[in-house]
Amino acid sequence: MVTALWCVFVYAPTEAAQGIVQRIFYFHVSSALVTFLAFFVVFMASILFLWKSIPWWDSVAFSAAEIGVIFCTLVLITGPIWARPIWGTWWSWDPTLTLTLVLWLIYVAYLMLRADAADPKRARFAAVLGIVGFVDVPLIRWSVEKWRTLHPKPVVIQAGGTTGLPPAMLLTFLVCVVAFLLLFAYLLRERISLAESQHDLEALRHKVDTNLSG
Amino acid sequence: VKNFWYLFAAYTVIWTTIFVYVIHLSKKNRELREDLNALQAQVERLLTRKEVP
Repeated sequence: MVTALWCVFVYAPTEAAQGIVQRIFYFHVSSALVTFLAFFVVFMASILFLWKSIPWWDSVAFSAAEIGVIFCTLVLITGPIWARPIWGTWWSWDPTLTLTLVLWLIYVAYLMLRADAADPKRARFAAVLGIVGFVDVPLIRWSVEKWRTLHPKPVVIQAGGTTGLPPAMLLTFLVCVVAFLLLFAYLLRERISLAESQHDLEALRHKVDTNLSG
Repeated sequence: VKNFWYLFAAYTVIWTTIFVYVIHLSKKNRELREDLNALQAQVERLLTRKEVP
């Protein structure tokens, strides 16, 4: 992360048209990539939970959804902060932005539904929502590429496999992506471990209570 | 520098959010440890009661 920050503020050149505010791009897009990855983990873990009925997959899905919502929140906050000086407005109801807000709402609903872990029915409903909600992710990607909106077209990988970024900016971006992926892996591991411990504690408490009442 | 405050606000939001989330996780972890200690004490009391005729 320190290397990523150094790259963003020292190594990367200032973009000619947008000025220093373009530096938001590195963390904004990295947050978006982590959001998509996190919701992909929710999608896969939810399928495996419904298929195998192993509670560990439910813990993985819930943990990834929580982290995904946090990074999606960052995307939704840093986007308007970047948009204000460039577009002249904080928000525009264009397809990319609206679909991202919908994605955030879907997974907030998932977290609310999944909040009561003790009810297995709710866990299964949440898993279905986690799978269905992921449909929004390819839609966002598609809207960035195909729709004519205020949101810029992809610059990192363009049509034909070329990049629209100069080498120093591309390297900075890649360092930021790696830093964010490592942060995601660390947070996910910690959150899963916490969810599993909570699950074990509840099971143990139930056993003790049964023993006391018996 | 033009638009500096937008850049500052964006990075402040990012780092504050990550920091608050990590603090939240460690707080939950601490609460869990406390719950575990309370449960352990409960189990020990239960075992002692069973041992005494």
